[in-house]
Amino acid sequence: MDHSDDIDLVGRVAKGDERAFLALYDRHVSRVYGLTLHILGEPMLAEEATQDTFLKLWSRARQYLAERGPFLSWLLTIARRVAIDRVRLESRRPVLTDANDPEDVWQNTPDLGTVSEETRWRSLHFAVQSLHPDQRRVIELAYYQGMSQSQIAEVLGWPLGTVKTRLRAAMENLREVWNEK
Amino acid sequence: MVRNEHSPYLENIAAYAVGALDAEEIAALESHLQTCASCRTELAEYRLLSESMLTAVPPRQPSVALRNRIQSRLPGARKDARPRWNWSPGFTAGALAFVVLLALNVYSVSQMRALQLQQTQLARQYQSGQTVLAMLSYPATERLPIASESLAGSFLLDKDRNLAALIVWKMPQLPEDQTYQIWLIAPQGDRTSAGIFRPEDGQAYTTQIIFPKQGFSNYVGIGVTVEPAGGSDQPTGERVLKVDF
Repeated sequence: MDHSDDIDLVGRVAKGDERAFLALYDRHVSRVYGLTLHILGEPMLAEEATQDTFLKLWSRARQYLAERGPFLSWLLTIARRVAIDRVRLESRRPVLTDANDPEDVWQNTPDLGTVSEETRWRSLHFAVQSLHPDQRRVIELAYYQGMSQSQIAEVLGWPLGTVKTRLRAAMENLREVWNEK
Repeated sequence: MVRNEHSPYLENIAAYAVGALDAEEIAALESHLQTCASCRTELAEYRLLSESMLTAVPPRQPSVALRNRIQSRLPGARKDARPRWNWSPGFTAGALAFVVLLALNVYSVSQMRALQLQQTQLARQYQSGQTVLAMLSYPATERLPIASESLAGSFLLDKDRNLAALIVWKMPQLPEDQTYQIWLIAPQGDRTSAGIFRPEDGQAYTTQIIFPKQGFSNYVGIGVTVEPAGGSDQPTGERVLKVDF
């Protein structure tokens, strides 16, 4: 998938080009829906979150800055936030400050232009699946359910220190895999 | 700065990158990040990892209907939702039927209005005729001949009831911008308008009932002139008839 094509398309979407919008939808909807379905676990809710994500793309396309990173990362950051907001709404959990808020993500994101994203993402998928079950569980709740470490400790009945240790270990393992590629 | 000084923050950077810190921890770490370049670098790497995890789930295809639902929310789709002309045989036949029905409806309305106008005229003629008949049967009614070379008719005058009827045969039609106007003539020659009228189509005679504001005893005669459409304050046109009381 050509990143430069994404940049061209999102630029046209920012000018109100609906055909470009649908082209982006066709390119990336499986990623967006895959993520929202993973987070929400329910196809109907996942489709609603996918719809909200793409409608945000339509209204906020001009906020995308190509020099800050791949379009797909930006779009999936929005999708994750939309889906986690829906999880919180459904479960009435308190809203947490999220360092991956799409409004803030550009503040700290390094340049991804030289990274072969696709290869790394595939390996990362297998790396997540290869984590120790306890580490994977913490990652799932933190990253894909939007829970804080203290909430995870409460939900799983583990000591907070254990949650922190397992989350940190999981992230270090994933980083090692990430850096090997 | 040695690693030990970073330890409390380094332990939280990974959790911060995936949004798993509580508010107090976030505030402390962000304060530290403002002054610590090495921790910002560490965070940048974890953020990159965090973003990549967005795609570490299998892609899935949603229903086809989702695309249509989203497309229907775009401004262009709302424009497209407006009905378009489709000149299929069925649509054409329907359109023709609609035009024919519309024409019939317009024709019916115009006919109805013509009938209503005719009905109003007939009612007015009937009422005038009844008034004339009543006046003729009343002993005190005076029947005065119309003084005109070209027109024939009568002027019925009932001074007791302050009522009069002007009956003129074969009165010529006037152009659209003209009208006949009746004048009451005072002894000193002053003229007071008693109304305007146009001969009715298809009628051999014209009947006009006159009700003056003041009694007929204040006048010595009537006259009819041709005036601009809408009438005049004083006679300006040709006089076509005159009746002296």
